[in-house]
Amino acid sequence: MSDAVASTLDRLSHVPGVRSALIVDAEAGVPVASELGMGASATAVAALTASLFRRTDEAVRQAALGGLGSFQLETEEGHLVVAGRRELIVVVVADRDAQLGLIRLEVDRAVEALQ
Amino acid sequence: MRRADIARLNELLREPMRSFVREARARIALLVNASGQVLAQHGFVGRYHVMNVAALAAATNASAHALAEITGAGRWQYMHHAGRRWQLFLAPFVTPAETLILVAIFDEHSTLGLVELFFQKLAAQVRALPEFGEALPAVNPASFEQELEAGLDRALAPDQPGGG
Repeated sequence: MSDAVASTLDRLSHVPGVRSALIVDAEAGVPVASELGMGASATAVAALTASLFRRTDEAVRQAALGGLGSFQLETEEGHLVVAGRRELIVVVVADRDAQLGLIRLEVDRAVEALQ
Repeated sequence: MRRADIARLNELLREPMRSFVREARARIALLVNASGQVLAQHGFVGRYHVMNVAALAAATNASAHALAEITGAGRWQYMHHAGRRWQLFLAPFVTPAETLILVAIFDEHSTLGLVELFFQKLAAQVRALPEFGEALPAVNPASFEQELEAGLDRALAPDQPGGG
């Protein structure tokens, strides 16, 4: 794992409320690096979020909205924040009461750091 | 594996294979055993192609398995080849009955991660089938070629009503 990826992942996973953080190869849909909480599967989260990211990106392009920067899902128990450009996608799984503003800020920084 | 067994397995594996292809967004998929017998397929139109791919998958599995043992790697997980348009995924999984090998071909509508993810699901579904729950008797060399043919015939037969 490169220093940039390792330090980015470390920073993300230490944000309060973050359960899991992953750096995903967007093209292959496989995890490059991950810090996982209990019950999370890196393979599954990486594959499905990469697929979702690509499809959502395609949808926003078809809607003439340019490329996709990020999206966020609200679930029964928390949030999934996904952001990326080009080859790498940053994925964060967070608790429902986590500070989303702080998480989004760190996710944006992570995307910048990985360019 | 006997001719009658192959026919039943073809039926049992039809739905898991269909689910795999749909969920992984694969274009072509083939399930064979370590001897190259075809147990299920999706997307192939020619007997010749199925036969070739089945034989190559069995050979690749045997070579990779031997290489993994020689190098002390233990077992191999999958082989992935990314071409300009098409990508190939080839992976074995062990059941109590025998080792099976999945070959999947996909394009830009899928990813390696998706294919690997739903391969794991397919493997779990197959392992849960009672037909794969016990060790099989050794293949009789005299009837081996016939059994290979039986697998091909069944896998390439048109879908039955209620099938797809």
